[in-house]
Order: sequence, then C-alpha cells, then structure tokens
Amino acid sequence: MKRALLPALILLASCSKAGPADVRISDAWARETVAGQTAAAAYLTLKNEGSGDDRLVGVAAPAPAMAMLHGSDSADGVARMRPLNSGLAVPSGATIELKPGGTHVMITGLGGPLHAGDTFRLTLRLEKSGERPVDVRITSAAGPESH
Amino acid sequence: MRRFRILLWVLVAVAGAAFAYLSFGPARKSVPEAQTSAIALSNLGGPFTLVGSDGQPFSSTKLNGKPFVIFFGFTHCPDVCPTTLARLVKLRQQLNGETTPFEIVFVTVDPERDGPAEVGSYAELFNSPIVGLTGTSAQIEQVKKQFGIFSKKVPDGDGGYSVDHTATVLLFDRTGKFSSTIAPEEQDKVALAKLKRITA
Repeated sequence: MKRALLPALILLASCSKAGPADVRISDAWARETVAGQTAAAAYLTLKNEGSGDDRLVGVAAPAPAMAMLHGSDSADGVARMRPLNSGLAVPSGATIELKPGGTHVMITGLGGPLHAGDTFRLTLRLEKSGERPVDVRITSAAGPESH
Repeated sequence: MRRFRILLWVLVAVAGAAFAYLSFGPARKSVPEAQTSAIALSNLGGPFTLVGSDGQPFSSTKLNGKPFVIFFGFTHCPDVCPTTLARLVKLRQQLNGETTPFEIVFVTVDPERDGPAEVGSYAELFNSPIVGLTGTSAQIEQVKKQFGIFSKKVPDGDGGYSVDHTATVLLFDRTGKFSSTIAPEEQDKVALAKLKRITA
C-alpha cells in the first residue's frame, strides 16, 4: 500500500480545490463615453474567499448592451483585443484585478452614452458561486484614480 | 495491490500528459508579427494633411514649432485607447508649469466608422485639448506609413470588427523631429523623462 502513496499524492495535488467557492466582486468602474461610441470596458476586482476554485464564465449587461470577457495585450507594441472564450479562473484565495490594458469586461451595443456619476448593473456568472450582480460606477474619462 | 499501483501510475501519466497538453499545446496561435516599417526611425513623421474634427483639412503645419505626441487608435476601442489618452493627459498635467505644454494628437485607424464628428467628441471626452484627426482611407494609410503604424481589422464574430493597432505613442520635438516612443507598459517616470526631452 505504501508504494501507492506517491502516485496517489501526485494525483491529489494535480486536482483543483473542490470545496465551496465564494467570489466577491468589488471596485467595479467604467469610463464615461460619448454618443456614437458603442463600446466600453468595465474593470473590477474578484476575490475568492471560499475554499474551492471558481471560474468566471459569463457576464450580462442591461439590454440592449451585451457584455463579454476580453483580454487586451500589447506585447510587441501592437494592441490586440480578443474574447476569453474559456472564461477566467478565480482560484481559492485569489484576488484578481481586471484593469486597463489587460483583462476587462467588454460591453458592446451601448444604447446611449455612459455618464460620469451614474452606475449600471452587470451580472457575473460564476461556475460555482452562481450569478453575482455588481454595480459599475461610471467615472470621468480619466478613470477612478484621478481627482 | 500491484495492479492498483500500476493503475495509479497510469493515471499520473494521463494527468501529466493532459497538463502538458493544456500548457504547451495545441501550438498557440501564432500572432501575426507586427509589420515594422522599413523607414528609419529618424525619418518618422514629416508633413501630412488629414481632416480635423471640424471637417476641414488639417495640415501638420499647425503643429510647427510645438512639441507633440501622436497616438493612433479608434473610437470604438474601449480599453487601450482611452487608457492611453487619459494617461497622456495626466502626464501633461504633471509636467504643467515645468515645461512648455505639448500637443496630443489622436489619429483614427478606422476612418470608415470615425468621421470628423466621432473623433471630435471622442477627443473632447478627456477634458483637455486633444487634436482628433481622421481622413480618407488613402490619407490615413499614407500617414500610418509615415509614422510606422500597423493596423489591421479583425472580425469580432458578431458582424462587427475590432482593429489591432500599434499602441505605442510617438514623441516629436518642436522642430518636428522624432524623439522617442512611450509604450503602454512603460513606467510613468520613464515616460515623463521622455516628455521632458521634447518640451525642454
């Protein structure tokens, strides 16, 4: 039996943590937009306080807008934006910040401009934590760190 | 017992192979290489004519005698473009008073969707003067070439498109001579030092 211990341990270690996940969402913001701009990006922080891993698999925006998870990358000087089709892993204990120039919630089909000071609601769909709504604060074009 | 052990090792091998596959294969889609322009850096820029937000021709002579930074993007770009323009505005405010201010020039790489009105209202979003420019496709292509800018339309799957484009900001001194670049990942400290060089 002892000789089975090593492979059993290796197997165990390679598995993901299967306990309950509890993903909290905070600090959601988006820049204001002007009429004619149909797309915007929302940024937020995901914190998994549960003992199990989770995965962000979808985002819904108020109709008629649509939301999806996107990644930007500007390696080699060229900015590219692509959908993250397999979602975003939120491991147990991890804090994941969606911020400018990286992974963000891409919102398309905006019915009108986003005005600074307003909020809108996104619903995040997580594999284990289920649906989590979050109110997104609309900031000036400068972003939240400006005065 | 022996069988059990072998079975476990087989499972380890399968898990290992799966991990290797997920990590290293299938061969990651190779990204198209940024087409670097053949022109020498020192020749970047030069005179151009585009269309301003008022719909009138914009001649680069309006920038004569002024240091400027130029960024190419598009108004439907939700992440990298507003982030870059907001950053340039912030950096300019940080230098304010220390040096002569520089102009921020934004040129669309998507003239199909971005007319004068679109680049105009987009530029105004940042509450600080930004020169928003568009033009005919031919004019934009010509200016992209002069400034060594790459851009390429990418279908988004919903009938629309996004545009991959050079995200680097180019800096020019008051004589119109190319000085340096600012990349998105560069620290503000480095960027400020470069901006000081063109505004000194």
